[in-house]
Amino acid sequence: MRIFDPHIHMTSRTTDDYEAMYSAGVRALVEPAFWLGQPRTNVGSFTDYFDALIGWERFRAAQFGIRHHCTIALNPKEANDPRCTDVLDVLPRYLAKDGVVAVGEIGYDSMTPEEDDAFARQLELAVRHGLPALVHTPHRDKAAGTARTLDLVRESGLAPERVAVDHLNETTVRAVADSGCWMGFSIYPGTKMDEDRMVAILREYGTERVLVNSAADWGRSDPLKTHKTGLAMLAAGFDQSDVDRVLWDNPVEFYGQSGRLMLDDTPAGDTFAGNSVLRGERP
Amino acid sequence: MTFHLGYGTNGFANHRLDDALAVIADLGYTGVALTLDHVHLDPFGPDLPKRVDQVAARLDGLGLGVVVETGARFLLDPHRKHHPTLVSDAQEVRVDFLVRALRIAADLGADCVSFWSGIVPAGVDHDEAWQRMRSGVTAALDGAVRHGVPLALEPEPGMLVERLDQALRLREELGSPDLLGITLDVGHCVAVEPEDAAACIRRAGDLLLNVQLDDMLPGVHEHLEFGDGDLDLPGTLAALAEIGYTGLAGVELPRHSHAAPDVARRAMSALRAALPTPGAVSLGSEALGGVSHASGAALPGSDVVSLGSEASGAVPLGSEELGAVSSESGAATPGSWLAEAESSVLADPASIGALFPAVGREVGRTPVQGESDPLGVVHGTVDDVARAKLLTALASAVGPEELATELTSLYRHGDDAERRGVLRALAAVGDKAPTAAVELVQDALRSNDTRLVAAALGPFAADHLDVHTWRHGVLKCLFLGIPLAAVARLDRRADAELRRMVGAFADERRAAGRAVPADALDLLRSGT
Repeated sequence: MRIFDPHIHMTSRTTDDYEAMYSAGVRALVEPAFWLGQPRTNVGSFTDYFDALIGWERFRAAQFGIRHHCTIALNPKEANDPRCTDVLDVLPRYLAKDGVVAVGEIGYDSMTPEEDDAFARQLELAVRHGLPALVHTPHRDKAAGTARTLDLVRESGLAPERVAVDHLNETTVRAVADSGCWMGFSIYPGTKMDEDRMVAILREYGTERVLVNSAADWGRSDPLKTHKTGLAMLAAGFDQSDVDRVLWDNPVEFYGQSGRLMLDDTPAGDTFAGNSVLRGERP
Repeated sequence: MTFHLGYGTNGFANHRLDDALAVIADLGYTGVALTLDHVHLDPFGPDLPKRVDQVAARLDGLGLGVVVETGARFLLDPHRKHHPTLVSDAQEVRVDFLVRALRIAADLGADCVSFWSGIVPAGVDHDEAWQRMRSGVTAALDGAVRHGVPLALEPEPGMLVERLDQALRLREELGSPDLLGITLDVGHCVAVEPEDAAACIRRAGDLLLNVQLDDMLPGVHEHLEFGDGDLDLPGTLAALAEIGYTGLAGVELPRHSHAAPDVARRAMSALRAALPTPGAVSLGSEALGGVSHASGAALPGSDVVSLGSEASGAVPLGSEELGAVSSESGAATPGSWLAEAESSVLADPASIGALFPAVGREVGRTPVQGESDPLGVVHGTVDDVARAKLLTALASAVGPEELATELTSLYRHGDDAERRGVLRALAAVGDKAPTAAVELVQDALRSNDTRLVAAALGPFAADHLDVHTWRHGVLKCLFLGIPLAAVARLDRRADAELRRMVGAFADERRAAGRAVPADALDLLRSGT
């Protein structure tokens, strides 16, 4: 099984995870910029994080045979913190970089005016930079948040096929399916979606425009949920081509719209900025 | 076929003339339209011949061509702007002034003396005004013959002669004198002419002796910066090139003196972006061209417009690497992504923020000398070369402070390739922002990234880095296995202290039973 995890926060994961993911068939992923659990207090924290996403983490993933891409954005949660919002002015530099395949995660957390503003401005950045957008839907009041998300996307002028609306469930999938946007599902232990519910949604909605991710981060989560969903699909009677479509072709198609996916087989260097992950003799 | 970009000193009314000329030349202009006025070479001032000599020497020293303008506002009459004119009752005052201007122009070696007609006074009918104009010009032409300097009549909105066809008719009526040509203000064309500026230029043809450049809106006689009106600047400049114009095309912004240096800089950026045969490319390749040319590479022509020292000579090049690179990868071809990116940076310097990261995707990332240097550690990669061109364009479009800020931002927010690009470009632009550039080199030398360390030790570091940091940079190369070929001017700067440090490093290696790099041994031998 060849897997492209379209949403996973590797910064928070260990080298064991990378090894297990590779063993399970993960060969490429996208790490969206999000919050870190611990709030950031200034713009510099963001740029250090972005630098890691385009440099160190990409290198780390390559050491395990996995292609790492990222999305860049001010996340909706921290869009409410005036100490952080100036990062919007720095985003254009990062959105132009190699391996940055979308603007994200953007969207709503508490649906405040500040979030409205950051969301709209970043959809505009996506248009200007020719990038797709990865949109996070809120954990609380999800259905209303999703509806408002789709309204804002419509107003933005960004084509729906260039927008993925993520963290969907049974109550929000219909509106997104009808909008023409991509439908993202985060398979979590216990919350959000699980593998079997995902299979049921695939049965109802088909495999087109569907993205399945682990969204694994610093919380309790499982970077192998993509693989496990693939197994559940096979067990439920989907064939291998359906699995390939959902777990590889679809994310390649969606993020491929950026023109910046790096799926070639170029061997990685041994070190990043002179440092390796191997520990020991050399630097 | 060459015309010169210049700037009108009436746009520098708050500067001393000598200072204005220096600022104008520093921005890359190669000519001035010198308006004789109280503060700038007063034609009625004491010691005029001496002052004229001084100005002539100043122009010569700065490499500036000149035309003489006679449009000062209160030079002849402290109460009434522009008075008297050739159509006034006191016409002889104006004629006398024009003849003085012709003499000064002859002493300065000016191309021509530019003049206009005048507003028809109340109580004077059109025919009478036209007769006055004919007699006044005839009188002034005597002076032109005497001093061997042509007069150039400028159609001026609101005056008796306000359109090109009227100026041409007057000339014809006077028997088409050889020493009577045309000054064309291209903004006026937008404001009052039935055709656009390019068509007027073609119509004036070889009668064109002087061109004033500015933007304007139709029907509104207000001199605007480029882009603020309806002028098609690229089309206008292309028409000048097309007719083979060889004179001065000077920016005419007489109401912008309060911010003259900034306005003049913006004007130059706009002109460079609008130049024909893609101007930006000519500039970019011209900047690198000194080196490429020396190494025998063919370059796209940059002969349409001659620009000043900043555009070519003043860009410090001295990097062997860049020279080799230019000849190998060639200059940007017109219409290529890189050529457009350079144009974009010249027109809008801030655009480099998004263009700089995209370079590798657009031009590739292969090493410049792949055979001997497969990772580009010593000679860099093709994206390094392209990034140097973008930064060269930036350096010509902004002042030193802005350049320093942008270099720092591009480096600080850059990925590894962008940082190398900034460091290698310092050979070409670092001299203009040395303080910031040294900080970036020092930052790179603190890393353990071999390609970054190698890129940091180019010609800029050889010239500007303090000797202690430079020596430690060289030693770091030996530690990291970076070929010392990456260190520019090693022979020249290596000193006894560096050899002591390298000697100690070699001893340490030997004590540990490890091999001493050949580069280290060579360096030690070179000191004996």
